[in-house]
Amino acid sequence: MRFITLTAILTTLAAVPAMAQFGNPGGLDPGTRESAPGVPVPGQTNVPDRLFTTLAAQGGMVEVDLGKLAQQKSRNDAVTAFAKRMIDDHGKSNARLEQLAKQAGLQLPTEPAPDQLDVKQRLSALNGSVFDAEYMRVQVTDHQKTVQLLLWVIASGENGDLQRFASDTLPDVLHHLQLAQNIVSQLTGAAPPPTN
Amino acid sequence: MSLLIKSFSAVLLALPFSLSAFSDPLPPDLTYRPLPTLPLSRVKAADEAQKAAVVQRQSGLLNERYDLSDRAMQGVMMSGGRKPVQQGVRVKLAAGLTWDALAGMSSDGIREKNLLPPGFLPLPHVKHATGGQVFPDRQIDEIRRQEGRDLRRFDVNFDFPDHITPEFPPPIFLTTRPELGDVSRGQLLTIRNFYEIMNGIVTPVQMEGLRLLLTPFPQEEFNQTEDRKVAEQSNGVTCLDCHANFHTNGAFHLAPDVRPQAARFRLDTTSLRGLYNQQIHGSKRSLRSVEDFTEFEQRTAYFNGDHMSATRKGVHLPSRPNQVAMMAQMQNIIDFPPAPKLDPMGKLDRSKATPQELAGEEIFLGKGHCAECHIPQLSFMDNMMHDLKLERFYQIGKTYNDLVTLPDGPIKTFTLRGIKDSPPYLHDGRLPTLADTVEFFNLVLGTKLTQREKDALVAYLLTL
Repeated sequence: MRFITLTAILTTLAAVPAMAQFGNPGGLDPGTRESAPGVPVPGQTNVPDRLFTTLAAQGGMVEVDLGKLAQQKSRNDAVTAFAKRMIDDHGKSNARLEQLAKQAGLQLPTEPAPDQLDVKQRLSALNGSVFDAEYMRVQVTDHQKTVQLLLWVIASGENGDLQRFASDTLPDVLHHLQLAQNIVSQLTGAAPPPTN
Repeated sequence: MSLLIKSFSAVLLALPFSLSAFSDPLPPDLTYRPLPTLPLSRVKAADEAQKAAVVQRQSGLLNERYDLSDRAMQGVMMSGGRKPVQQGVRVKLAAGLTWDALAGMSSDGIREKNLLPPGFLPLPHVKHATGGQVFPDRQIDEIRRQEGRDLRRFDVNFDFPDHITPEFPPPIFLTTRPELGDVSRGQLLTIRNFYEIMNGIVTPVQMEGLRLLLTPFPQEEFNQTEDRKVAEQSNGVTCLDCHANFHTNGAFHLAPDVRPQAARFRLDTTSLRGLYNQQIHGSKRSLRSVEDFTEFEQRTAYFNGDHMSATRKGVHLPSRPNQVAMMAQMQNIIDFPPAPKLDPMGKLDRSKATPQELAGEEIFLGKGHCAECHIPQLSFMDNMMHDLKLERFYQIGKTYNDLVTLPDGPIKTFTLRGIKDSPPYLHDGRLPTLADTVEFFNLVLGTKLTQREKDALVAYLLTL
């Protein structure tokens, strides 16, 4: 079943016409081999692509991890629904990223970054409404960072497939950010997000 | 004592742990521009090889969004009499949809059904990942002819057709000598001809300011380093390369005030006419004086918000009392073009205006809500920034030609005096004609104007 969903997603994505990306050749790595001028040969491990896949994979991993933690710890419906959505959505995009990384010959990390492990440890020690608010606040920060990461690779990345992945993912990440901000607002009385 | 050392060591030991949470792993070039990594010859070859596809992709986007055909309004010319004003709504609607039907829908409905005309969305730069100033051909050719200076980029071309841009060269009107009318002699002011054209018309202070405004200084894409986008080593660009004759030639760039690159929105050069009444400067920065603006643009590589990068290419740090003040004083004597139907309070003279223009004024002041920001007595602006919240109508975060469409946030109110002279409209030039701006604001402000009212409003805007 899961395989079917994944296949369906990949097929849908493949059906979307490839959007041409035009980066700034001035920013290419000196060693980059090009299949066309300014277009890196696929499968190379350029610094921006490697950095992006590493950070995106770690981010996705943490979202699923923390989502599971929230499902165990929280009794708040909004928080658990959000956590489920994180597990589902990031599960899917992690799978797509893994596929793309494999095609590009990039090794994905197996462990989150140290600061992400710290956050998980900190959240594990919390309970009840304190956990809910803190988990959701972490979600806001994490999604803000992910927005930055995706924006960065859309302009500064080199691998077109990874850039398209970022373009496809960004609207969902912005939506998640907004959901998280709304829940923080409900839980803490903080101002709701500025956009719709 | 030893206790103190102990507690101090304890703090030191604890420090790395508490700091580790701040070791943010986001990429280093989100804020700072990366240094060039390849020799110019290789970058140039790659850019040139991509150019045709880059230009074609942008023209594809423009044609998908707009009807860019040359349809001039009968008998309506820009203020110099050199170019007709374009007529009609050019933003394309989804098949089967009408403007009235669209205006009747809720913002949520339009967003959910993805019905906002793409021409209302933020407009990407021709090559967004690179960005930088792009000049129209007329400017490039004239500067080449007069100064032998190269403004033609090897990686991109200007995108809008000539008839959607301001007339060239635009006329120049001075607050100090209104009786002379246009003092440009039909020429583009450059470092070569400014003295001859302005001798006896401006003061020594203004003349020196003008000279500086026409002196090229190195800029991000126009300089002597391998980071440039012109074939020849370049002395740079001047203030008036974009603000041609203190108006605009439609040259565009990316907003200096936003990062990272994919989130920077396009900026259409604004006119400097009527600067003397303008209290805030920069679409996002709200700089409080033209002196601040002038000084700052010189040191941050003309609209890149990047003093680091500017310094590498040869920064110009004009002296505030001796140079900036003079540049500001020159800019502050640039007047709007004549508007013979307006009275001293900015209202239509009933003995001169047509019934349709008067009807348009009534809508402007009332049902259209235009005058709430574009206040006639204040040169049709309010010296404020406002957020139209266009993102109510579209899903944010989609990528179009490497620009990610994000909320614009508050943007400065621009003047409407002489507005027929400065297409395309809005801060990024996303709207080709005045009729487009009327449809845009009809939707955004929910004013539900009839076709007759929209036509009257356009007729009124032409009198300003």
